[in-house]
Amino acid sequence: MRSMLTRRRTPVLAALLTAVALTTAACSDGGSSDTGVPPADDTAAASGLEAVFADAPVADEADILPDSTMAAIKERGVLRVGAALDAPLLSQQDPSNPDEVSGFDIDLAKLLAIYILGEPSIEIVPPASETREALLANGTVDVVFNTYTITEERAEQISFAGPYFTSGLAVAVTADNDDISGIEDLGGKNVIVGANTPAVTAVPEEQPTAEVTSFATDPQAVQALVQGRGDAYVQDYILLATNAASNPDIKIVGDPFTAEPYGIGLKHDDADFKQFVNTWLETIQDEGQWAAVWEETLGTVSDSGAPTPPEIGSVPGS
Amino acid sequence: MQALLDNLDPLLRALGTTVTITLVAGVAALVLGTLVTIARVSPVPVLRGAAFCYVQFFVNVPLLALLLLAVFALPDAGLIMPLTTTAVVVLAVYEAAYVAEAVRSGVNTIPPGQLEAARALGLRLPQILRLVVVPQALRAVVQPLGNVMIALVMNSALAATVGVVELTSAVNKVNLVEAQPIPIFAGAGLVYMAIALAIGLAAGRIEKKVAIAR
Repeated sequence: MRSMLTRRRTPVLAALLTAVALTTAACSDGGSSDTGVPPADDTAAASGLEAVFADAPVADEADILPDSTMAAIKERGVLRVGAALDAPLLSQQDPSNPDEVSGFDIDLAKLLAIYILGEPSIEIVPPASETREALLANGTVDVVFNTYTITEERAEQISFAGPYFTSGLAVAVTADNDDISGIEDLGGKNVIVGANTPAVTAVPEEQPTAEVTSFATDPQAVQALVQGRGDAYVQDYILLATNAASNPDIKIVGDPFTAEPYGIGLKHDDADFKQFVNTWLETIQDEGQWAAVWEETLGTVSDSGAPTPPEIGSVPGS
Repeated sequence: MQALLDNLDPLLRALGTTVTITLVAGVAALVLGTLVTIARVSPVPVLRGAAFCYVQFFVNVPLLALLLLAVFALPDAGLIMPLTTTAVVVLAVYEAAYVAEAVRSGVNTIPPGQLEAARALGLRLPQILRLVVVPQALRAVVQPLGNVMIALVMNSALAATVGVVELTSAVNKVNLVEAQPIPIFAGAGLVYMAIALAIGLAAGRIEKKVAIAR
């Protein structure tokens, strides 16, 4: 009888403990990912782009070559996109409405879907960052929009259309840190980076004596910086600007110290599709959709107007 | 494969970290787990209850949640440790729950008559545990403990998510530069497989050596 009683009571206690632990985890997660997206801008972005999508260019029937990748996508009726769901302003899933994904990358992907299919019909395959090359090679996705920096090593495995955007890495520190004023002060310091971002290799190139610690997600890296696990956080300038705008504990110091040309990942050696995507990119840049998407997404944290898009094919590997 | 050979130096250092994490956390988990089992089978109700709660808590909370809590929540509570130390501590307390369950099943293999005999000989409780229960319980569960240690090696890969540069984290970095996920991750998988095989074979030999002739 006694053992029966203990057995019945203790699982309840264990369940309570678990519940407490999970709630704490959920709170800390929610708190940090909230920092990314200003909710007011989100709805504006959605409504602001409706009109852009409605007038977006559609490819001529003649451009969809028979037996090409474009024809296969049109046949299928949906464009398969490799993209993140947790990148604020670039490709962010709305937590309250999982069907709603918005941001610069994903809105461009929707424009490409419109160009091929006539409607913004996309299917997102996340997480793409470690396995992007494999996903493209085996045909799981048609295109990758994933802040995919064009490099010559990558260009041996896959093809890049674009570049469609140029960003750069910058340095963020805690608000009370006056010792570090840019990448040149990071020698011998402990530098936090995001795993699988260009900063992993760029920081040792600039500052060989810096110690690099990588965290899986951007909110984790920000949290680690605020808690003092590192002296600085090196990340894409846009992403840092978003973080700094919503988190008074961190600030950006110095100017971006690299140029990261982002490309659209395509299957290797698919020259027709690459040409097709580049033509589309030129079209939306000429007709203003590119700038409109920029204004609604990345433009919300920038003081200047839409930048001049980089010249297509201007980077080794593209 | 060339991609892995070109980066052999950082990869070997990362493999060293994986092995170190496994060894330290493994030994700590064996000691802690055995202590938890002793509490679990002790005649003191409070100890029994505490050990039960310990096991239930760590078996039922995902390791990744524990790691994230230890790395990001403990500093807010004023406790900040280096990342690798944090990972070792979390892995040790987590795997200790599984060690405790394995050792408890070993305790259950000891016939009650032996305990009665030990008491009849005038042995005190600590002596019974030290001389009769624990040695026989551990010998009976060498293979299950080997499995827990293999799980520990695999679980150590989760430390990559919180910034520890172990094998998984290092191959991620190599892949970032070389962009050849299939050979790189397959290579890492083979290394993990080799470690698991080594532990499995070692457990088999130890079991044969310490087996109790009945």
